[in-house]
Amino acid sequence: MEQMRKRETGIVRSNRETARGHYVIEVELSGVFDVVSPGQFVMFRPGTGETPLLSRPFSVCSQTETGETTKIELLYRVVGTGTARMASLRQGDTVNVLGPLGRGFDMDKGSRLILVAGGVGVAPLIFYAGRRRAQEDGGRVRIIAYVGAADEDSIAGADRLEQYCDEVKIATDDGSRGFRGTVTELFRNDVKHYGKEASVVRACGPRAMLSALAEVLDGHDIACQVSMEERMACGIGACLGCAVRVRLDDGSVGYRRVCKEGPVFDMEDIDWHED
Amino acid sequence: MKTDDAERPNMAVSIGRLMLKNPVITASGTFGYGEEFAPYLDLGRLGGMVLKGISEKPRPGNPPPRIAETPSGLLNAIGLENVGVDAFVTEKAPFLETLDTTVIANIFGESADEYARVAGKLTDVKCVDALEVNISCPNVNRGGMDFGADPEQAAEVTRAVKEATDLPVIVKLTPNVTDITAVARRVEAAGADALSLINTIRGMSVDVYTARPRLANVTGGLSGPAIRPVAVLMVWETVQAVSIPVIGMGGIMNARDALEFLIAGARAVEVGTANFVNPAAVLDIIDGIERHLGDAGVDDINDIIGTLDCRRK
Ligand SMILES: Cc1cc2nc3c(=O)[nH]c(=O)nc-3n(C[C@H](O)[C@H](O)[C@H](O)COP(=O)(O)OP(=O)(O)OC[C@H]3O[C@@H](n4cnc5c(N)ncnc54)[C@H](O)[C@@H]3O)c2cc1C
Ligand SMILES: Cc1cc2nc3c(=O)[nH]c(=O)nc-3n(C[C@H](O)[C@H](O)[C@H](O)COP(=O)(O)O)c2cc1C
Ligand code: FES
Repeated sequence: MEQMRKRETGIVRSNRETARGHYVIEVELSGVFDVVSPGQFVMFRPGTGETPLLSRPFSVCSQTETGETTKIELLYRVVGTGTARMASLRQGDTVNVLGPLGRGFDMDKGSRLILVAGGVGVAPLIFYAGRRRAQEDGGRVRIIAYVGAADEDSIAGADRLEQYCDEVKIATDDGSRGFRGTVTELFRNDVKHYGKEASVVRACGPRAMLSALAEVLDGHDIACQVSMEERMACGIGACLGCAVRVRLDDGSVGYRRVCKEGPVFDMEDIDWHED
Repeated sequence: MKTDDAERPNMAVSIGRLMLKNPVITASGTFGYGEEFAPYLDLGRLGGMVLKGISEKPRPGNPPPRIAETPSGLLNAIGLENVGVDAFVTEKAPFLETLDTTVIANIFGESADEYARVAGKLTDVKCVDALEVNISCPNVNRGGMDFGADPEQAAEVTRAVKEATDLPVIVKLTPNVTDITAVARRVEAAGADALSLINTIRGMSVDVYTARPRLANVTGGLSGPAIRPVAVLMVWETVQAVSIPVIGMGGIMNARDALEFLIAGARAVEVGTANFVNPAAVLDIIDGIERHLGDAGVDDINDIIGTLDCRRK
C-alpha cells in the first residue's frame, strides 16, 4: 500500500523579515516529508490557537533534506489575519504543514530560461532556479529573472535569485530601483529578442500580472507555465473552493481546481478574461 | 494505547435500518467522493461518508472567489459543482466499491422529478447504502432553497424520492427557516427514514476597501464553529419534534463538539469544515469520543445519546 500521508507537525527554526512586510520562515519537519517539486505548495497553519480557522497555502521556496529531517522555507507577505499570525511565530513554535500539494512546474530542458515574478511570486521561482541549476547536464542554461515590486524596500528574494541567475532585472512601481513600471512592461521591452530560440518562461504573481504577461507573450512562440492563486479551504481537491476558469479542448470554458490540477498551469489553458 | 476489544465501549449506532460502525460521518461537500482523502486516513474507520451533492446533469459551479473565511467560520458559494449522476456511476463509484465503509449519496435537483430520477439511478449502484436528500442549499437561485424553506415542497420531494428508491432516505434540512420543526414534522410524515441538520446558514461578507462582496456569488453559506450553537439548538428542537433518528452537524471540530450533539439527542453526527483543517480530523473525533466513554465509564455510545439533563438545579 502507498505510504499514508498526514498533516505534519513542524518546528519553526527561524522567521525573519527580509524586506518590508515580507518574511522568510524556516520550518523543520520529519524526514518522511516528501520531496517537493518547485511550484508545489503546502497548507500552513500555526500549531496553536483557533484563529485563523483554515490553513493558508504557500509555495515552497526551498527544501533541504538531511535524512532525519527536512527543512522547508516559505517566503510570505503579511496581508491579513493569517499571515500576521504567521509573522508572530518564534523559533521553537510548532506549526501544522500539509503537503507537498498540487502540480509543480515541469522542469525545462532549454538553453534559456526566463523567470517572471510579481511580489511574493518569487518564492517558487527561487526554488525552480536552484533545482534547474542543480540539474544542469553538460549544456549550461542561461537564466534571466524579471522581478516586480512596489518599491525598493519591498523587493523580496531578488538576492536569492541572483545566486542562480545570470541576470536579475528589477521593476518597481515608483522607480525607486530598476525599471519604473510593472514587471510585465519591463519584460515586454525584451521579449522580441528572445524569439524562438528555445526560451521557456516560468511565472508566478498576482492574477493581473499573469494576465498582462499572457498578453505580452501572445503571438510569440514561447512556452510558458504560470502558478495561479485562489483562496483555498482544503488544498487537496475536496472542497472545490479554489476554482480557476480554464479553456477546455472543445473551446468552451470550465473550472479546474488550483490545488489539484494546478497551481501550475500552461499559460494557454487559463481563461484570462475577467468575469 | 489500545485496550482489548472486550473492554472497548460499543461505538456502533443505527439510523433506522442503516447500521454504522460509529456515529461519525463525513459531511457532504467537504469530503469529495472519498478518494481525495484516501491518502490521509483509512476510510474503513469512518462511521460513514456522505458524498458531494449529485444532480442529474453535470454542473460547472459558481465563478471564483467561492470561499471566504469569517470569524470562526467559512463562507462558501461553490454552486453545487458536480460531475452529474452518470459520470458519478462510471468514474467515482468503482473506487467506493472497494471500501468497507457506509456510503451515503447526497442528491439534489431543481424539481421533485429530478430528485426522483437521481434517486432511482443511485439505487442500483452497489456502493450506495443510503441517500441524503439536500433540500437546503442556499447557493443556487433555482432549486434547493425553495424546497427546504417550505414544509409543503419539502414533503413533496421526500415523497418523490421515497417512491423512487428502497434505500434509506435521510432528508437534510436547512436552518434558513423560522421554525425547523415544522419542516421536520412534514418531512417525517412524508416518509423520511431519518433527518440530518443543519446545512449552512446564509451569510455574506463585504471587503470594505473595494466595497465589493467577498464572494463572486455575493451571498454564501456559513459553516464551521461559528454556527455550532445554532446547530445544537436546532438538533435539540428537532429531536423532540419527531420520532425518526436525527443526524446532527454544524461546526464540529473535535470530540467534545460531537458529544454536544449526541447528548442533545442526535443519533450520529456529520463533520464538515473540520476536514479542511485536518484531513484526518474525523479519526481524532472517533478516538476522542471513545476515550470519553471510557473515562466516563460508559460502555455503549447509545447510553450517551439524548441524555441532556435540563432540570433546574
Ligand atoms: C498555491 C498558492 C501559493 C501561494 N504562495 C504564497 C507564497 O509563497 N507567499 C505568500 O505570501 N503568499 C502566497 N499565497 C497567497 C497566500 O495564501 C495568501 O496571501 C494568504 O492566504 C492570505 O492569508 P491571510 O489570512 O493573511 O489573509 P486574509 O485575511 O485571508 O485575506 C487578506 C487579503 O488577501 C486576499 N487573499 C486571501 N487569500 C488569498 C489567496 N490565496 N490568493 C490571493 N489573495 C488572497 C484576500 O482576498 C484579502 O484581500 C499563495 C496562494 C496560493 C493559492
Ligand atoms: C465547501 C462546502 C460544500 C458543501 N457542499 C454541500 C453539498 O453539496 N450538499 C450538502 O447537502 N451540503 C453541503 N455542504 C454543507 C455541509 O455538508 C454541512 O451541512 C455544513 O457545512 C455544516 O457543517 P460544518 O460546520 O461541520 O461544516 C457544504 C459545505 C461546505 C463548507
Ligand atoms: S482548496 Fe479545496 S478543492 Fe482546492
